Amino acid sequence: MRRHPIIQMVAIGAIASAIGIALALWINWFPADAAKQDHPIDTLYDVLLIVSIPIFVLVLTVILYSVWTFRMRPGQENEDGPPIHGNTRLEVFWTAIPAILLVSLCSYAYAVLNDIEKKHDHELVVKVHAIQFAWTFEYPQAGGRSVVSPQLYLPKDKPVRFDIDSADVIHDFWVPAFRVKIDAVPGITTRLRVTPTKLGAFPVVCAELCGLGHAVMRSTAHVMTPAAFGRWLAQKQAPAAGGGGAGGGARQLTQQQLVALGRATFTGDGGCGACHTLAEAGTTGTTGPDLGRVLRGQSENAIRTDIVDPNARITPGYSANIMPPTFGQTLSAQQLDGLVAYLATVSK
Amino acid sequence: MLAKLRAPGWYRAGLFTLAAIAFAYVLVGIVRSAMHFPNAWDDGDAITIVSLIAVPLFVLVGIGCFDYWFYWVSGRPTRPEDHSAHGAQSWKDYFRVNTDHKVIGIQYVCTSFFFLFVGGLLAMLMRAELAQPGMQFVSSEQFNGLFSVHAALLIFLFVIPVFAGLANFVIPLMIGAPDMAFPRLNALSFWMLPLAGLLMVGSFLAPGGSFATGWTAYAPLSTTMPLGQLFFTIGVQFAGASSIATALNFLVTIITMRAPGMSFFRMPLLVWANFSTSLLVVIATPFIAASQFFVLLDRALGFQFFNAFVGAGKDGSVLMYQHVFWFYSHPAVYIMMLPGFGIISEIISVKSRKPIFGYRMMAFSLIAIVILGFTVWAHHMFVSGMQSWIRIPMMITTAIIAVPTGIKIFSWLATLWRGVLHLDTPMLFALGFLTTFTCGGISGVMLAMIPFDIHVSDTYFIVAHIHYVLFGGSLFTIFAGVYYWFPKMTGRMYDERLGKLHFWATFVFFNLTFAPMHVIGVQGMPRRVADYAQQFAGMNLAISIASFLLGLSMLVFLYNMVVSWRLGPRAAANPWRALTLEWQVSSPPPIFNFDAVPTVVGGPYEYGIPGAVHGIFQSPAEAKPMPAGSVATSPTTE
Amino acid sequence: MEASAASLHAGAGAHVEHEHHGPPEAHRSSRVEPQLLGMLLFIISEVMVFGAFFTAYFFIRVVDASPWPAHGTELPKIIAGFNTAILLSSSVTVHWALEGVKRGNRFALKAGMLTTFFLGATFLFVQINEYVHIGFAPSNSAQASIFFGLTGLHGAHVFIGLCLLAFVNVRAFRGHFSPEQHRGVEVPGIYWHFVDVMWVIVYTTVYLL
Repeated sequence: MRRHPIIQMVAIGAIASAIGIALALWINWFPADAAKQDHPIDTLYDVLLIVSIPIFVLVLTVILYSVWTFRMRPGQENEDGPPIHGNTRLEVFWTAIPAILLVSLCSYAYAVLNDIEKKHDHELVVKVHAIQFAWTFEYPQAGGRSVVSPQLYLPKDKPVRFDIDSADVIHDFWVPAFRVKIDAVPGITTRLRVTPTKLGAFPVVCAELCGLGHAVMRSTAHVMTPAAFGRWLAQKQAPAAGGGGAGGGARQLTQQQLVALGRATFTGDGGCGACHTLAEAGTTGTTGPDLGRVLRGQSENAIRTDIVDPNARITPGYSANIMPPTFGQTLSAQQLDGLVAYLATVSK
Repeated sequence: MLAKLRAPGWYRAGLFTLAAIAFAYVLVGIVRSAMHFPNAWDDGDAITIVSLIAVPLFVLVGIGCFDYWFYWVSGRPTRPEDHSAHGAQSWKDYFRVNTDHKVIGIQYVCTSFFFLFVGGLLAMLMRAELAQPGMQFVSSEQFNGLFSVHAALLIFLFVIPVFAGLANFVIPLMIGAPDMAFPRLNALSFWMLPLAGLLMVGSFLAPGGSFATGWTAYAPLSTTMPLGQLFFTIGVQFAGASSIATALNFLVTIITMRAPGMSFFRMPLLVWANFSTSLLVVIATPFIAASQFFVLLDRALGFQFFNAFVGAGKDGSVLMYQHVFWFYSHPAVYIMMLPGFGIISEIISVKSRKPIFGYRMMAFSLIAIVILGFTVWAHHMFVSGMQSWIRIPMMITTAIIAVPTGIKIFSWLATLWRGVLHLDTPMLFALGFLTTFTCGGISGVMLAMIPFDIHVSDTYFIVAHIHYVLFGGSLFTIFAGVYYWFPKMTGRMYDERLGKLHFWATFVFFNLTFAPMHVIGVQGMPRRVADYAQQFAGMNLAISIASFLLGLSMLVFLYNMVVSWRLGPRAAANPWRALTLEWQVSSPPPIFNFDAVPTVVGGPYEYGIPGAVHGIFQSPAEAKPMPAGSVATSPTTE
Repeated sequence: MEASAASLHAGAGAHVEHEHHGPPEAHRSSRVEPQLLGMLLFIISEVMVFGAFFTAYFFIRVVDASPWPAHGTELPKIIAGFNTAILLSSSVTVHWALEGVKRGNRFALKAGMLTTFFLGATFLFVQINEYVHIGFAPSNSAQASIFFGLTGLHGAHVFIGLCLLAFVNVRAFRGHFSPEQHRGVEVPGIYWHFVDVMWVIVYTTVYLL
């Protein structure tokens, strides 16, 4: 007689758990799977789901079963339940089993942690500099020079070590597709290791509240074939790459091409549109002023100064130190020329 | 008029507010002159900061929190206790300094529910902005302010004080004491709260907007923010002082004022819960006070605690803020949860008509949580860049703290088993709590696992987790407790049908609002952003709609409470047939709780034993111990 | 807030009741006095405030291994040592005052309390003088911030202690306290001892180590 409800519940619980686990595994939880670190973390999550759903179902089943079977029926208003004060064996059981379960989960998580943070020989070192509200990626090269870029470019299947620092407040470098993140902390250099395994473009996100432009502090990580990465690096290193107006050897762009490059930089590489509204480019950012309005009638030189030295003059109603002063370094000279030409054209 | 300005009350408080501003002006002027600063007499920032500290203190003096002590310390005869400050004769007495714990309890609960509604409205504004990607209603500056004030209000002015309020009303009654140990300190700790709340809400009026660094106020962001930040920094000091004073009062009351016969293991579990919470508060809260002192000193007086910039040569430490902050703020989540555990123990036992299962383990697990609670703080810092080895012990302790929590959940389930379940509103909220809190607890264990936490920290997964434990956990227990003690506090019954409607609406829309956040969090949406990637648009719209409906369900509660308090049917002394002492007196309780202190002769949860009582109104000499009296841990009689 | 009807009812009922009696005598369930226990718990809280400031000290001096004191600064160990002696002797005098009142010796009470007060005030005066002449400001470095933070926090506690001592003095000279009623001397005395012990720790860690 007393065995009966327990068996019923175990049966209901098993079925419900199976459905719950199936449902949880069916949900597409994670973003793109783009690094060697992803698989162990995703598997850990699946294991956690498989372990926890039966526990949740157990609680739910007992509650629903009790509500159904033991609810007060008319006429029972003054009745009491049996005076059961406890059961030592049961209490030991539900102290020991969760403890064992949790310790084993911890050991498993520890193994995964060691796996994803493993050091490799011949790592590609990328320095990540965070500033309100932009990322700069620096690739140290032999001979002390380095290549800087506002977007992250990585070769596929090559272990990468990021050395991350911050120039002002705490930021957090996160590529959801790589599953790993770490804070960029003023005063210390933090490290992160990743081996990209999938070609494509993946968002880089700031995950730690860093001020009013926090939501738009984004960039893109491009994972390329090693050959393409080599070409990109070589092009960035070449001294004449778009050497501005003075570049004798560089291919001269027509005004039209320059404006087109500027527009592409505005919405893409430069990330200007994240903070600035500009009707022509279709961007709606509100962290900085509406460029269609404030740049009207400005000279090309004034616009160039506004980009490379944003604190030189501040639009009334906005504060200093919001726009990063790094664009002079992170954008190529040609991109800068294009941007100036584009902005001068659209704000005539 | 002059008499009104001299007597304690709001007129004098108004006068003292002006005095405080004048004081701040003169003090800043004198100090700046003495240090030969230029423009010594017109530094608006400094005057505001000093006023933020001085005005609340002067107002407290003005409304009369300190009058008795002033008489005492000056050696003048203190006014004989004529009980004029005891009990509330009319609604106006709730707006005066009153030393009756029952009045203070109701003041606490009403004030904190006021801030719940303010904080909830801020959340609605946030969800309106988040309904679509891009910026629609507020600027990113205002948005950062919205979620910061939302969190600060709900943590420091709702969850923590509302538990203190319920406990203030119930605990002296439960342990058979006529009042708290220090009634005047009790009044003072209440009156600090609305002032702290006004500071936080008032930050919206500050130049540069309200504080916008989240409730965590991480340095060095917080030390470089506009003036609004200091409204939080200083407001937290008052809220913290208030909760330390209350906790101290609870500890002394529980230790020294229990009725004869009430040994520690005959105390109701709510008393145990508040005892352990108060221990946490007394030990941990000074850390948040200190962390905000650091911010205040850095921001206002040019100290360099957090100036770590390379090249500045100041040797500050950024991570130190997080260690100090979380050493309070992790125990704080138990401060926000343990009293709820106590409420649930009371309700589940009474409404299942069974003794609580494993009483001693329930009490010990509370103490275990208190101790372990101090060993897990750095699990908030897995991606902070601290020394990586610290993560491992913190992961293990974080996982282990789930064991005592699990014991409590399983014991509640065992208490339900074979009981006679009265499924009215408090019980529904208690059962709702069990499901949502289990969910929040499980996601908490997942977050303890470092590799997974690295991916989801600072995402919407965290937002979902914190709301499952603080909304589905704490707030559900608060609703359960408010419904359960409503007859005792007001002397009237609430409307049961509206209560059930409130529960089902809240339960359904709560889950619809917060469950999807787990998914968008793992998919990669960071928290605290006003704008987000297009891929999350659909989910966010659904969440926003559910959250507005969740907000509407609160109006049912508000209507039920207000109307029932005025017009509800009179409540019986003991409508739930409970054994604990607060139900053995009239509803609402008489002015000094008891004519004579009762004698406790048995455990608090002896349901199902014919003729069992917990306390009797006889002197200890006449009282005979009950045979079934002891809290047995004997095996079940099955 | 809308409790008018309900509480009026309760109030009216209770009003009649308290014609004949006030609150019932609370049962004393512990041998510890409430005031004493309250002060001890308050001191636990205070210790934790100092603990948080020492955490800052620990992170900057030990974890980050920054030089202590900062380059080019020096801490006046001798003057502070002299100050330590002043503060420690005030612990003795406050104990003398308490023993005095317990034995009914009003002279010992008054003289002890007054001496304690002036010793404490001297300490504070020397401390402020030290700040003026120390040669660096809190804005110079994190080490300086910690120095001013810890000693300033302690100074604030000395100030609170002095306020309590002033109250006790006023009451003592007005003829309060007796061998039976001396809690008003004992509780501020415990606080004063705590302030002294805390200073020894601050002095050792900040100046000596």
